[in-house]
Amino acid sequence: MMIGIKIPGMKKLTNTKKNGIYNKPKYVYIPLISQNDTNITIIAKKGDYVYKGSVIGKRKGNLRIPIHSSVSGTVVGFEERPYLNGSIVKCVKIENDFKEKEEVKKESHKTLNHYTKKQFINLIKECGIVGLGGAGFPTYVKYDTDKPIKTLLINAVECEPYITADYALMMEKCEEILEAIDAILEICHIDEGIIAVKKNNTSLIKLINSFIGTYLKIKLVEVPNQYPMGWERNLIKQVKHVTYQNLPIEKGIVVNNVSTIYAIYEALKYERPLTERVVTFTGEMLKEPKNVLVKLGTPAHEVIESLGGYKRNKNIRFVAGGPMMGVAEPNDDLIVTSNLNCVLVLKEGKESLPSECLRCGKCVSVCPAKLSPVLIKDYLKKPERLKELEPNRCIECGLCTYICPSKILVREFVKEAKKKSREG
Amino acid sequence: MKEFHVSKGTHIRSNNKTSRMMFHLLIALIPIIVFAWYKNGLQPFLNGDATFYGMILPLLFVGVSTLTTFLVELLYGVLFKKKRGMDILKYPIETYSFFPGLFLGLILPINTSFPILILGAMFATIVGKLVFGGFGHNIFNPALLGRLFVIATYGIVIGEIGGYLNPSELDAVTTATPLTNASLVNGIGTYQTLVEPYGSLWNFFFGTIPGAVGETSAFLCILAFLYLSFQRVIKWKIPVVYVLTVFFMTFLIGNYHDLGIWYPLFEILSGGLMFGAVFMATDPVTSPTTPVGQILYGLFLGILTVVFRYLTPLPEGVLTSILTMNLFVFILDRIGSKARFNFVKSVIPFLIAWVLILGLGVWIGSSHSLPEEGTDPNYTIESKQVDGDTVTYIVTEKGYVGPIRAQIILEHGTIRSIEVLSQSESFYSRIESADYIDRLIENQNNLEEYDTVSGATVTSTALKKMVINTLNDYRVNGKEEVEGEEETVEPDFEVLEKASSGTTTTYIVTQKSFGGKTRAEIVFEEGQVSSIEILEAPDTYQNTVIDADYLEELINASDLNDVDAVSGATITSGAWKEMLASTIEDYEGGADEE
Repeated sequence: MMIGIKIPGMKKLTNTKKNGIYNKPKYVYIPLISQNDTNITIIAKKGDYVYKGSVIGKRKGNLRIPIHSSVSGTVVGFEERPYLNGSIVKCVKIENDFKEKEEVKKESHKTLNHYTKKQFINLIKECGIVGLGGAGFPTYVKYDTDKPIKTLLINAVECEPYITADYALMMEKCEEILEAIDAILEICHIDEGIIAVKKNNTSLIKLINSFIGTYLKIKLVEVPNQYPMGWERNLIKQVKHVTYQNLPIEKGIVVNNVSTIYAIYEALKYERPLTERVVTFTGEMLKEPKNVLVKLGTPAHEVIESLGGYKRNKNIRFVAGGPMMGVAEPNDDLIVTSNLNCVLVLKEGKESLPSECLRCGKCVSVCPAKLSPVLIKDYLKKPERLKELEPNRCIECGLCTYICPSKILVREFVKEAKKKSREG
Repeated sequence: MKEFHVSKGTHIRSNNKTSRMMFHLLIALIPIIVFAWYKNGLQPFLNGDATFYGMILPLLFVGVSTLTTFLVELLYGVLFKKKRGMDILKYPIETYSFFPGLFLGLILPINTSFPILILGAMFATIVGKLVFGGFGHNIFNPALLGRLFVIATYGIVIGEIGGYLNPSELDAVTTATPLTNASLVNGIGTYQTLVEPYGSLWNFFFGTIPGAVGETSAFLCILAFLYLSFQRVIKWKIPVVYVLTVFFMTFLIGNYHDLGIWYPLFEILSGGLMFGAVFMATDPVTSPTTPVGQILYGLFLGILTVVFRYLTPLPEGVLTSILTMNLFVFILDRIGSKARFNFVKSVIPFLIAWVLILGLGVWIGSSHSLPEEGTDPNYTIESKQVDGDTVTYIVTEKGYVGPIRAQIILEHGTIRSIEVLSQSESFYSRIESADYIDRLIENQNNLEEYDTVSGATVTSTALKKMVINTLNDYRVNGKEEVEGEEETVEPDFEVLEKASSGTTTTYIVTQKSFGGKTRAEIVFEEGQVSSIEILEAPDTYQNTVIDADYLEELINASDLNDVDAVSGATITSGAWKEMLASTIEDYEGGADEE
């Protein structure tokens, strides 16, 4: 089966450096959005004093996940700021008083496994834990199931080039992460935990192996250095040799990103909500590329300035996310959110204009979702036939655009087809 | 103020570029061009068969063809795409306009004259590419369309001045291309007839056999294939499946006649199959993009090539197969794209392909016969009359287009005259202008070594074989006469036995009928038919006739012409009526004979 292809990792820019911390934003802007849903009940009002971890909003509908303040301070108003998907989102602007005050001072627990499954699900829901790999899907939903969970698969593949946030976090918090996995296995009666790491991350593999011995239920699995190896379907196929229809739970599998696991650790240990994350600030046009622990709601340009800024101010490209799936932003006002794993600043070279498609079939052969992008592009003019090519299988990994020798933006055509086939 | 560029798509790109792919394609073609020059220019020059112009001709040939397609698109860019300045030159480079011309130059006969070559190259670009909207939009392979045009319109003219043969081959090799030669024996022959005239299979492998300018060397095509596959430039599945399919089918065909492994090898090394598979069938624009589509494409290319080679008068098949399959790329890709989600959706086309491969392989194998050793299946003696020391033969021999019929008169075992009674050959004028027939008579004792007429190789070879076969017949059978038509054709009606006792006469007769010979006993009593008993009738519908009381009707009829045929068994009933009529005629004609 086609997993993907090997593409240059470019991870050396950041993975050998010590992680930085940026926790001094004067203001934070907490976007009132969860995944791509802006249907949020606003709890905080202008002038309110909020603590670090106070709930300032709650998603409406079925997934009532809270949104927390990442600092203590005063709500000064509501402003619109750019979000990582390219849209502008209403944010709660909070002036930081730098006191890091929490509403109730919580004790840290000695053990992590004293919760029942129900308590556990409630805890991670109230702590606002969502998938930190990029999807931003509320994590508690995956555990809130009657079906037996047999395997907890920890996705530490981080297959997209440049990004090393998960890697950096694991290098620093390996013990904590293993401890959290072990606790989840016990609380939710899961048979095994599998950590999937790319096989070329040798120092990380060594580190995990030096701690894993005491955890009999946890296994480390090395996966090929290919993109998009970290796509859930690919990973499950590679590690467990099974396929599923809609959700991994059909096969008794729950997949969590490794950064999500660390957020769960913080919740289990300190009952601390999700208010910060590690973000990779990287790219040739940054003076000092680095992984930085950032408070959610911090404007990206502040972090970049703290890292010494840009190498040049013209002809650069600012990307929210990785080089394959990230979105180029028109400015650097982007707000750091839980699902932002990378900020990439690249130089803007002369981009060659797309030439005529020569039908080489490369986009077909690389597509991990088994689509035929070249035909989808042709069929855009015949929407009645579009459905049979099933464009909504597209995971927007970008490999088709990456590989195209004619430099055609193939993925954009498939995305358009996806939209059309949903409408029609 | 910082300036950020916003663009869609991925923010890193692979270094895979169209120009890179085309560059590698060009690299892969260089050895082939050099070999084409060596084989068709340098070597004949060194042998003293070609002038200096002849030496550089192959390079000029490919060059002119390439330049033509380039200039046509340059002009197109200026006139229709309004390119100005540097863009005038950039446009035809970016549309890879030189490739159709380059390929066309390599797949045409070396004796194509320059005006025809230029016309062909223009056709290739204009009809093959520009009419469809230019690079990336064409349905058919432009170079192959160009070649089809040249061969269809000027093939005969080119053939008359030597066709595929380079100056050395015109002088030395006294045959046409291997597949034309093979078509003389319907594609199936022994190693001696198919391969030995050209040396050994190694000549086929390395390409020192007659053929188009640059497509003879299988070895260089395989090298190019490996290089291009390694560089991920071509759709490697297509040539692999294509060649293997032809190999497998011809293996089946050859195996039927115990021909050994050389036979399928001969088939895949002939007729530009390797060149077509590696360079023409993989043309990205005109071939499928999905893996399953590519495999099906290869399978059907193989099937069609075999069909064209054995079942049509086109001995080559590669060009026609690819152009035909170009039409089905769209459908194959539809199947292929669905098969990616669910392989079961492509089972039916695969099943059809395999039924065709096995069925056609076995059927062609069993229906095409291997000519017996020493006899020529294309030679027949219509009649042979002996008058003292003079023997007059009427014979036919299969020529290039159809049978050649001739009267050959021998005196004292020596040919005195040959008169061609009928023929339909394309290049017969060359035979006449070469006084070939008179020279055959002159050289009748040394015919095996006697040269054929270049430009009409097949026809002259056929004439030569006709004479040799006739002389052989005289040597073996001497003055044993062969009657014309009458003897060879069996009579429809025959009296096998006739016995009379008193007023009763009993006949045992046979009559040719629907399924074979009907044998019957017919009894006459007192001059009247009293009974008819069918003893043997291999017909399918004899019972229909018997059940219809047809025999009674025949017996009782006063005039046989009034008896209607039995519907559903018209032939059988008609034949039986005929039989009875003939018997009555015999009875009435010789009533008194015993």
